[in-house]
Amino acid sequence: MSKNMLDLKNISVQFGGIKALADVSFKVEKNTLFSIIGPNGAGKTTLLNVISGRYKPTSGELYYEGKNLTKIHPNKRASLGIGRTFQNLALFDHMTVLENIFIGRHHLLRNDFLKGAVYWILGGQKEEVGNRLEAEKILDFLEISDIRKSIAGTLSYGLRKRVELARAIAINPKLILLDEPMAGMNQEEKEDMARFIIDLNREWNITVIMIEHDMGVVMDISKKIIVLDFGEKIAEGLPEDIVKNERVQQAYLGDDK
Amino acid sequence: MVDNFLTIPHVLVSNSQNYPTEIAMREKQFGVWKTKTWLEVTEEVKAISMSLQSKGVKPKTTVGIIGNNTPRWVIAEIASQTLKGIALGLYADALENEIEYLLELTSCEVVFVEDEEQADKILSLTNLKQKIKIIIYDEEKGMNKYNDERLISYKKLLDHGNSLVKKDSQKFASLLNNISEDDICIFCPTSGTTSKPKLAMISHRSLLNHAKNYLDADPKSSSDEYVSVLPLPWIMEQTYAISKWCLSRMKVNFVEEPETMFDDLREIGPTFLLLGPRTWEQIAADIRSKIMDSSFIKRKLFEFFTMLKRKNNGLIVNVFCEYFLFRSLRDQIGFSYLKSAATGGASLGPDTFKFFVNMGIPLRQLYGQTEQLGAYTIHREKDVNYESVGMPFKGVKIDIDEPDREGLGEIIVMNKNCMNGYFSATNDNANISPDQWFHTGDAGYFDKLGHLVVIDRVSDLSFTSEKLRYSPQYIENKLKFSAFIAEAAVIGSNKPYLSSIICIRYSVLSKWAEQKRVAFTTYSDLASKLDVEELLISEVKKVNQSVPKKQKIRKFVLLYKEFDADDDELTRTKKLRRNFVINKYNDIVEAIYGDQESIQIDTVINLQDGGTQRIQTELNVINME
Repeated sequence: MSKNMLDLKNISVQFGGIKALADVSFKVEKNTLFSIIGPNGAGKTTLLNVISGRYKPTSGELYYEGKNLTKIHPNKRASLGIGRTFQNLALFDHMTVLENIFIGRHHLLRNDFLKGAVYWILGGQKEEVGNRLEAEKILDFLEISDIRKSIAGTLSYGLRKRVELARAIAINPKLILLDEPMAGMNQEEKEDMARFIIDLNREWNITVIMIEHDMGVVMDISKKIIVLDFGEKIAEGLPEDIVKNERVQQAYLGDDK
Repeated sequence: MVDNFLTIPHVLVSNSQNYPTEIAMREKQFGVWKTKTWLEVTEEVKAISMSLQSKGVKPKTTVGIIGNNTPRWVIAEIASQTLKGIALGLYADALENEIEYLLELTSCEVVFVEDEEQADKILSLTNLKQKIKIIIYDEEKGMNKYNDERLISYKKLLDHGNSLVKKDSQKFASLLNNISEDDICIFCPTSGTTSKPKLAMISHRSLLNHAKNYLDADPKSSSDEYVSVLPLPWIMEQTYAISKWCLSRMKVNFVEEPETMFDDLREIGPTFLLLGPRTWEQIAADIRSKIMDSSFIKRKLFEFFTMLKRKNNGLIVNVFCEYFLFRSLRDQIGFSYLKSAATGGASLGPDTFKFFVNMGIPLRQLYGQTEQLGAYTIHREKDVNYESVGMPFKGVKIDIDEPDREGLGEIIVMNKNCMNGYFSATNDNANISPDQWFHTGDAGYFDKLGHLVVIDRVSDLSFTSEKLRYSPQYIENKLKFSAFIAEAAVIGSNKPYLSSIICIRYSVLSKWAEQKRVAFTTYSDLASKLDVEELLISEVKKVNQSVPKKQKIRKFVLLYKEFDADDDELTRTKKLRRNFVINKYNDIVEAIYGDQESIQIDTVINLQDGGTQRIQTELNVINME
C-alpha cells in the first residue's frame, strides 16, 4: 500500500463556463494534518466536495489508499473511511446529540430491521451496547458528555460545530475533511477545537484535511499547506515556507508590498 | 458500624473482609454507572500502595492529588496513607502559583493528576522540577505529547502494583501493621478568607472519631446514597467521601463531569447531600428561572401553592401542596429520596433555606472550621430552625467568649478530635492541644432552645459611623435570595450608611433580557443596561422592606464582572473575601460615599481562558432614595 492517503491528479471542475478548479494535483500523506487555504471563491470547498464525492471532477483522477476513487459514490466513500463536516452546519436539528452521532455510525451496524426483531439472538443487543460505547467515547473526547441528550438545534453555534465533528468521527474515518471548523467561534472555542484536531490526528491517527481562514491556527497546527487562488494551486509546502512565499502573500495576505 | 478501628486503611480492609460484595462506590463513565465493591476498592488500594512503595515513596512523604472527584482520587489518598504518607488535596481550579506554594511548603514528591489540564500545571512548575519525582496521570487523552520521565499513567501504576501483590501477598499486611492511629493522614488547606491557606494536620484518630460523632447526630447506613460533588481537598468532603463512607458504608457516587452534576443527581436520587450555599442558591435561582420560562398555568400554580404553603402549614394544605406541586418539583431536580440534606462552608440565607424546607427538602445547616475537622454542629431531625446552625455533636463543647448583654460574643470551641496543628516546614511541634479553647473568629449566641446562631465574622461585624451594629453577611444573604443577584458585598463599616456592590446573576438575567427584548452583548454590557438597573432597584427595595430602617441599603452599584476565586475575590470554597473586595474596588466605594453619580471605569479584567479584556464603562451609583 502506498504511503499516501490521497493522491489527486490534475483535477479540474467546471460549472458551465466557470472553472472552479484547474488542474490541481497534490498528495496527502498518511497521518498528516493538511490545510487548504486561499481567498474566498478560490475553490477550497469544491476541492473538499471532490474528495468526499459530492462533485464529480470534469477531468482528472483521485486515488485513495492507492485505489481509484473518481467514480465511487459518496455513501461508499463513507464506508471506505472518509468523513467530513460542512462549512454551514448540517446537523439533524430536531434530534439529540447522541442520535446525531448514531447516524454517523449507521453504516457500521450489521443488524437491520428484520434481524432487530430477534434482538437477543443475533447479537443486536451486544451491537447496540458497543455502538453506544463508541459514541460515548467520542462525546468524552470532545467534552460534550453533558449535552448528550440535548436537542441539537437548541445548542449554541460552537457546540453544534463540535457535535458535527463528533458525527464525522463516528463513522470511524481514516481521513477526515473539515470545512472551516473554527468559523464563527470565539477565542476559547477556537483553542478547544484546535486541541481536538491535534489530538484527533495524533492520538486517533486520523489524517486531517482542513480548510480554515484563521491563519494563526493554520500556521500553528498544520504539517503541510496548499494554497489555492482562482481554482489554481499556487503554492504547497510547510507552514514556514508558505508564509514566506511571495505569490501567497500577493494572493492571500494582501498586495501591500 | 466498625468499632475497633485504628486507621482508614484498617477500616477499609475490615469492610472488604466483612462485606466483600457490597457496593462501595459508583462512577459514571461513558454514560454508564460502574460499581466497585469493598473488595475491589481494597484490592486497588493494595496495588497502588505497593506500586508507590516500589517507586520509593516512604513514610511521611507528601502525596499531592489534584483533579475532580473520582474513585482514583480516594484510592490514591488511602494508598498513600497505607504507606504512612500524607495526602494533600489541591483544588482542581487552583492556579499554578497556589499549587506551587503548597507543593513547595510540604516538599511534595509525588503528585496524582487527573488529566492533561492538571498535568500542564504541574509540569509548568520549573522551580520544583527536581523535587517532584513522580507524576501519575489518570486520563490518557492528550498526554502522549509529553516526554517527561516523571510521568506514568495510573493504569500502568496499577498493573505494576497488581504484579507486585501477586509476588508477595503478605507485604500489604505488614504495611498495615506499621500505620498508627496517631499518624497524620491528610493536610487540609484552610479556606484562607484573610491570607494564604494554612495546612491543618489531621490524624487518623481525629478524622475517624469525629466522623463517628457526626454519625451519631445524623446516622447513615449502607442503604444510603451520597453524591460526591464538593471538592475533595475540603475537610467536609474528606469527612463524607472518606471517613463517613468507610465507617457507615454509605455508597458514594462520583459524577461524570462537574457539568453533568444535576443530571447525575437525578439518576442516583441521593438520600443524603451536602452542597455549598452557592450551589443551593444556584438551584433556587434555576428553579425560579425555569418557572419564569414555563407556561402561564404552571407559573400561576407554582405561585399559588408556594404562597399557600408560606401562609399556612396545616395538614390539609400540606397534603394538597405536596400532591400538586412539591412532589413533582423534587422529582425534577432529583431530590425525591432525600432523607437529609445539608449546607455548610458559609452561611445560607434564611430565605433560601425556607424555600427548600417549604418544598419538602429536609435541609439542615452545619457549622464548623477546618481546624476542628469541619462541621461540629448540626440541626437534629425535626429540630430545624432557619436562623440557627443547630446543636453541637457529642464530645464537642461550645461557648461564647466575653458575651455582651444580649449574649453575643466570639464563638469558642473545644473538640477532642481537632487537628494536630498547622503544618510548618521548620517547626514540627506547632501543635494545638485538644483541651484548649479554639477561637473561631465568628460572632454568635445561643438562642432560647440552645441552638447556636452564627452572625458573622467578628472582624466583619461592624459599626457604621452612626454607631449602628450590623452584619454584612446577613444582608448579603438577603440580597442573594433574589434570583437576579449572584453575589453582593455590603459596605458600611465606619461609613454613615450602608451600600453594596452587586454582581448580577448572568444566567437568569440574560434570559430575562431576552424576554424583555433588551439587546446586550456581554456581562458588563448587560449589567449597565437601564432596564436591568430598574429591575435591581425593585429587588433591593424588597430586601430593604425586610430589614430594620437603619440597615437599609441606600446606594448600590452593579459591578461589570462577577466575583471570582481566580481574582482572589472569593476563596476556593466560594466564600466572599469582603475586605479584599472593598479594598480592591476602593474607587467605587469612594465614589459611593463621595456622593458622585457615576464612576468612570477603565480597567483590564482576566478572563477564564487566560485572556484579558479591557473594560471602559461608566458605572452608575444607584441611589435608593
